[in-house]
Amino acid sequence: MTNKRILIIDDEADIREATQMCLEITGEWEVILASSGYEGLLKAAAEKPDAILLDIMMPGMDGLTTMQKLRENTATSQIPIILLTAKAQSGEQRQFNQLNIAALITKPYDPYSLSDQIAQALAR
Amino acid sequence: MLFSLSGPKPSLEALLHRMTDRIRQSLELSEILSATATEVRTFLKIDRVKLYRFEPDGSGEVVAESIQGQRLPSLLGHRFPAEDIPQEARELFLITRQRHIVNVAEQEIGISPLLHPQTQAPLHQDIWFRSVDPCHVEYLTNMGVQSSLVVPVLHEQRLWGLLVAHHSTPRRISPNQLEVVQLVSDQVSVAIAHALLLSQSRLQARHEATVNQVVTLLHKTPTPALQTALTKTVKALSGVGGRLYLNTPGPNPKKQLLITGQQPAHLVPKTTVQSPVTDHQSYPSSAIAVPPLEQLLAWRSWLQSEAPAKPNELLWAIDHLPDSQASPLLKSALQLKNICGILVAQLFYRNQHLGYLTIFRQAIAVETIWAGRLDSTDPRQDRPRQSFETWRELKQGQTQPWASNDIDLAHTLAHHFAQVIYQSRLYCQIQALNTELEGRVTQRTKELQQANTDLKREIAERENTLRQLHLAQDSLNRLSHQNELILESAGEGICGLNAEGQIIFVNPAAAEILGYSREEMLDQLIPHLVDPAKADGTPYPWEHSPIFRTLHEGTHHHISGDLFRKHQGDYFPVEYTSAPIQDQSNILGAVVIFKDITERQIVERLKDEFISVVSHELRTPLTSIRTALGLLANDDLDVAENKRRRMMEIAFSNTNRLVRLVNDILDIERIKLGKVTLRKQACDLAKLIAQAVDEMRAIAEKKSINLVVSSLSINFWVDPDRIIQTLANLLSNAIKFSPPGSTVQITASFYDQEGQDHRQASSTSPLIPRPQPISLPSKSTIESNPKAIIIAVQDQGKGIPENKLETIFDQFEQLHVLDDEHQGGTGLGLAICRSIVQQHGGQIWAESTLDQGSTFFFTLPIYDVTHDQ
Repeated sequence: MTNKRILIIDDEADIREATQMCLEITGEWEVILASSGYEGLLKAAAEKPDAILLDIMMPGMDGLTTMQKLRENTATSQIPIILLTAKAQSGEQRQFNQLNIAALITKPYDPYSLSDQIAQALAR
Repeated sequence: MLFSLSGPKPSLEALLHRMTDRIRQSLELSEILSATATEVRTFLKIDRVKLYRFEPDGSGEVVAESIQGQRLPSLLGHRFPAEDIPQEARELFLITRQRHIVNVAEQEIGISPLLHPQTQAPLHQDIWFRSVDPCHVEYLTNMGVQSSLVVPVLHEQRLWGLLVAHHSTPRRISPNQLEVVQLVSDQVSVAIAHALLLSQSRLQARHEATVNQVVTLLHKTPTPALQTALTKTVKALSGVGGRLYLNTPGPNPKKQLLITGQQPAHLVPKTTVQSPVTDHQSYPSSAIAVPPLEQLLAWRSWLQSEAPAKPNELLWAIDHLPDSQASPLLKSALQLKNICGILVAQLFYRNQHLGYLTIFRQAIAVETIWAGRLDSTDPRQDRPRQSFETWRELKQGQTQPWASNDIDLAHTLAHHFAQVIYQSRLYCQIQALNTELEGRVTQRTKELQQANTDLKREIAERENTLRQLHLAQDSLNRLSHQNELILESAGEGICGLNAEGQIIFVNPAAAEILGYSREEMLDQLIPHLVDPAKADGTPYPWEHSPIFRTLHEGTHHHISGDLFRKHQGDYFPVEYTSAPIQDQSNILGAVVIFKDITERQIVERLKDEFISVVSHELRTPLTSIRTALGLLANDDLDVAENKRRRMMEIAFSNTNRLVRLVNDILDIERIKLGKVTLRKQACDLAKLIAQAVDEMRAIAEKKSINLVVSSLSINFWVDPDRIIQTLANLLSNAIKFSPPGSTVQITASFYDQEGQDHRQASSTSPLIPRPQPISLPSKSTIESNPKAIIIAVQDQGKGIPENKLETIFDQFEQLHVLDDEHQGGTGLGLAICRSIVQQHGGQIWAESTLDQGSTFFFTLPIYDVTHDQ
């Protein structure tokens, strides 16, 4: 059985790396990394991952813009997107929940349940 | 001639003198007449001389007489019917003053008129004789007289009577004697005039005395003695009774009728008593059950039909009641009490009918002594009287007639009665008016006193109220002044509105916030002035705005975030309260209290952003740490060794980052709160720069950044740790935003007021611009050590937009500046740097050219160490 592939788009290198290791170790995910929104668009179109873990607050093209462009591209429009945010305020979280996303995961996430959270989101 | 003169003429003259003297000796008429009769009889030596007086009806009476020798009988007091001396004979006596001498024996009469019958001219005293009328002869003969001499006695051109001389035998009377008798007769006339005058004078005096007495009684004070005056009046008028009837109450209302003496029988109404009259003698007016006579219609009708005693006078004198026009009822009422004569005077004064004064005279029996019984078969006594023997005739039901002087007296008294009654009535009215007036004055005085008391009380109350009002006014003024001061000094804008939404009050804050003058705002409609809109900018229809609802529904509203328009047209966020001004249930207007919350919204937004950024900045390293440590901590996971090592590096690196962040946050908060105390000491600037560069060298090398230092060795007075922190921060930023292979240069130099860089010429540091002149801490410090140090950190990065050059020194501003990738800063570094530099009395700023790089400058004053210490 082939591992599912997931694209992680985050400007923080440590987070990209730690998350990659977390998903590979706990969930047997095949992880693709992108350090910016722009890179993420290219890799999503090229690799067509099963899911995209997208950080919202990034310099340059932020997460929401990136998501909008992913949706606009027919090649990537159907890929489920899980948003990753460090904004803990409830008002902001409600705002993100209204978007058409698979899940919203708040930093710092629980490394033991991250893989399950993504899997459950994809199952929905 | 039967008569002839006897004796010489001188004796006649003596006789005449004696006779006239005697006549004049008395003023009493009866005495004069008796003396006259006696003297004439003596003079003529004749049997009988009498003086005969005519009554108004033509009859006559012998009122004086003198008899000699009893040859002829006495006729004194005897009455002779009028027919004995017919009217024609009486007229001749009067007109011609004719005397006649009868000689019965010779059937001859001598006539001697004194005046001409037609011309009334005096005639000679001749005597013409002719034969006498046989009847005359028979009359004298039957009387026993043979000779007769008759001389008329006149009084006031009227025939008073006759002087008659009779002789029982034929006797001659000479012309001289006739002349003497005529003279005597003339004297008698004079005496009669005197006597009557005396009598009238006496009567007049008596009447005046009566009037005086009555008037005195009438004017008796305090009340007129009407009763006594009435009694006196009745007596004076020879009445047996009288009454005074007042048609309206007089001084004493209970005495409408005063009576005295004999009174008419009491008339009783037919409905109650069979008999029309009763026999009540008198009755008190208070007990009158039946009306007085005077109130009867019969009384007034009677007086109207009866002729008054004098024309145009309201006085009636009835001599003989049965002959009057009185009604049978009245007559019977009077006659039953033997009243036959009645005198009624209507009391009238000043056109007011006041009542009646009535005098009654009793019916009496009158005896007349006639000289011989009259022949009832010969009513006119045409046949000569056969006998002159005394005949006494008694007539019942007669009365004393009301003489003219009685009437005059009654008239006068009635006038006085009327006057007094009128005056009394007037007095009573005045008294009543006075009493009423006094009562009213008393009442009015009481009312005035009461009103005065009330007024005083009211004045006192009002004064008290006024005092309280003044106190309240003072208090109100103080409160009003305080309120005014409060409103004037209130930071919030306050507008008072009337019911239509017009501004009727505005405080200075409101005017200032809205950008108007207070005068411009007054009378404006608030929706037109501020054009309230919702927070998102949607304008309110006026009818839906909270202020409108307050004005029309009386509801309170507290709104935050709505927009008001300023005078300049800009909208700004406000927090406002609109509350109704109510008087009971009436909404008189509203008060709108508002404040500009632009600053607050900015602060809130900054706060939200701060929290959001802090959250992000904290969570980002925590995510790496948690993930790495989580994976490491789980022994069940099969993690390769190289990965374990890497995870530990990540955890450690991010832990350091977290520590820096926490330190920065704590630093900035402590610096902001003034809790950081600089530990200044003398330091060498070159050493501090070297230390900071050493800290950053590893990072620079990692990014392949070339660090160039142009230092300056100088001692100055700073907190070395804080200066190193500042330098490291600036170097860190420069390295962070510089592309690999580029250069970051740090340069230190002197800096004076003219902005001259004394050590670094422009040749060695072309990138260092001339900063704006800086203000040094104090004049004394500058004088002692006028120079400062300027330090510049220059990179070759992308540069900073012009509009961000100042805001990057604000907290957490880095995220807005950077756009390519996150460089892992806290966003607090520059804010901390500015705080440290400012605490040292320096300044910090940045200059930049896009795509060429940025330079951060800060200055530090060079203090004299000794001074500063």
